Amino acid sequence: MTFGIILGYIALLLFLGIFAARLLKKSSGDYFLASRSIGSFMLLMSIFGTTMTAFALVGSTGRAFEKGIGVYGLMASWSGIIHSACFFLIGARVWELGKKHGYVTQLSFFRDRYRSDLLPLLLFPVIVGFVIIYILMGVVGSGRVIEALTPETFAEQDARTEVVVSAPPTNLTIPASWGDRLSFDAGTNTLTLKGSIHPKRRGELFGMVDRPPAPTWKKAVGELINKAPRGAVPYAAGMGLICLVVLIYVFLGGMRATAWANTFQTLVFMVMGVVAFLVITGKLGGATAATEKLLASDAAERATRGGDQIHKLQFLTYCFIPLSVAMFPHLFQHWLTAKRASNFKLTVVAHPLCIAITWVPCILLGIWAAAELPAGRDPNSVLGVMVAKHSTEVLSGLIGAGILAAIMSSMDSQFLCLGSLFTNDIVVRYGRHFGLGEVNDRTKVIFGRVFVFLAVAVTLLIGLSNPGGVFPMGVWCFTGFASLFPVVFAAIYWKRANKWGAMASVVTVAALWLWFLDDALTGEFLIADMMPVTFLLAASSVAMVAGSLLTPPPPPDLQEKFFPSKKA
Amino acid sequence: MSKVVVALILALCVLHHDLWWWDSAKPIVFGFLPIGLAWHTGISVAAAFAWWLAVKYCWPARLEEGDS
Repeated sequence: MTFGIILGYIALLLFLGIFAARLLKKSSGDYFLASRSIGSFMLLMSIFGTTMTAFALVGSTGRAFEKGIGVYGLMASWSGIIHSACFFLIGARVWELGKKHGYVTQLSFFRDRYRSDLLPLLLFPVIVGFVIIYILMGVVGSGRVIEALTPETFAEQDARTEVVVSAPPTNLTIPASWGDRLSFDAGTNTLTLKGSIHPKRRGELFGMVDRPPAPTWKKAVGELINKAPRGAVPYAAGMGLICLVVLIYVFLGGMRATAWANTFQTLVFMVMGVVAFLVITGKLGGATAATEKLLASDAAERATRGGDQIHKLQFLTYCFIPLSVAMFPHLFQHWLTAKRASNFKLTVVAHPLCIAITWVPCILLGIWAAAELPAGRDPNSVLGVMVAKHSTEVLSGLIGAGILAAIMSSMDSQFLCLGSLFTNDIVVRYGRHFGLGEVNDRTKVIFGRVFVFLAVAVTLLIGLSNPGGVFPMGVWCFTGFASLFPVVFAAIYWKRANKWGAMASVVTVAALWLWFLDDALTGEFLIADMMPVTFLLAASSVAMVAGSLLTPPPPPDLQEKFFPSKKA
Repeated sequence: MSKVVVALILALCVLHHDLWWWDSAKPIVFGFLPIGLAWHTGISVAAAFAWWLAVKYCWPARLEEGDS
């Protein structure tokens, strides 16, 4: 049932994509930028939906389960301040320059502003690498969420699971509804299950013997549920399905379908997030009871930031992570879709509120789960398990659709952006060296699609290796983007910034990011209790300033183009 | 007004680092929100207000002219 509802939601999304595709004007400008026609509300929804991903829902709940309420301060409240600052100071200005000079991608802006062909070539692999990790977060998150939410989707009738009960159960009665799925051999004290089982059936199994169930029976039931197949949609199939769906609607309708789907999906995940919260809260006996239970448990520390959960300097230096939005190439492209600059106003104001609406329930579910679930559980599965444990199958399906909506609303923009970068900054610029000649609109779109397909295939292959937690992966990806912040900030606000400074900054970030990659992905990685982004950003800033000041300033006509004198 | 908005946003950045409630869950706000989480939810709401002031009073005139 749960998987059926998820499939129904996916079908609805594909219908929306096909409908948007019918409105697609057959030009690359419409495919990549929706002809710069997006209004205030859609801009807010698509920008917010793009910044919220598996990281926001699955990652935040899992991280709060491990680290407590401080996770909200680390990411959400800092983001409310810093993201809006980036939209105000950088997004609106980029839109203005994009409209004036006809930019389609982030790299085309940097090429023009820094008047360098080498800088985009240096940035291209760095940006694509970071985006692939960002997509990987969504891919891994979607695979794990679908797997956690869909037990007993497949009966797996050939599977037999046997458990020996150490003492015979008293008055064991197996209801007729179980058919021949469950049997007990009194001679050998063996409990046998045919096929798959949902962990929620633990209560049904406990109810088959006299109340209260004996510890030996409870232990045998626990063992049976752990050993038996779950019959869930496999992790790899879940990942593949989500990628395929997003590929289809991005390929069909480009940016217009992406903006529509983002708006729809952002509304879905916000509404379903609130519904999930209310349903689970109800099952826990109300919010007050859930918090009281937490405070009375061994996990009471999760309601604070005390102990060794979060370091104070880590909490402070997390402020640099949200600077990453200024360098997300997919967000850059969304900025360019706005119909007018004033459309940014709603995004700047409402973004912190949208973050609070999404994150507060997730953080509460995460800390409440700490009093419900055993410590040491895979943090990425916490949200899925809480939903599966405390809601009906129909609600599980709807909430699962909401979680997948959050994931897909970021992946679509990232897919489209990879295609735009490859087509506009590599094929169009350098295609002639490979005998391509003049690239028309149709060819541009085809090249974009092929590159996206290959990038997604690579991401899926990495995803199959079941990489670590969504949160550390996300933090390291954001660290890379945030460390490149000086490149975009200087481009807009520092007349003296030149290509040598920008290239020094990019090389510095790439080198340090790769140097620390292993440490960052194997656990919580801090330097002197501070977020590593502090040092990467400092190094990048020094490289930007030193590189620019030690080399000749940009030519006067370039300075005049981007920083026109008041007389002009 | 620009200076007020900048001061407000800087004040939010300082108030974000609420060491005074670091180790405490109590008081519990509305019966279920640990104080640290309630404080930071307040920071998000205050940020929205600060940015509302920013777009109302500090939005570059150049961008408005471009729109019209």
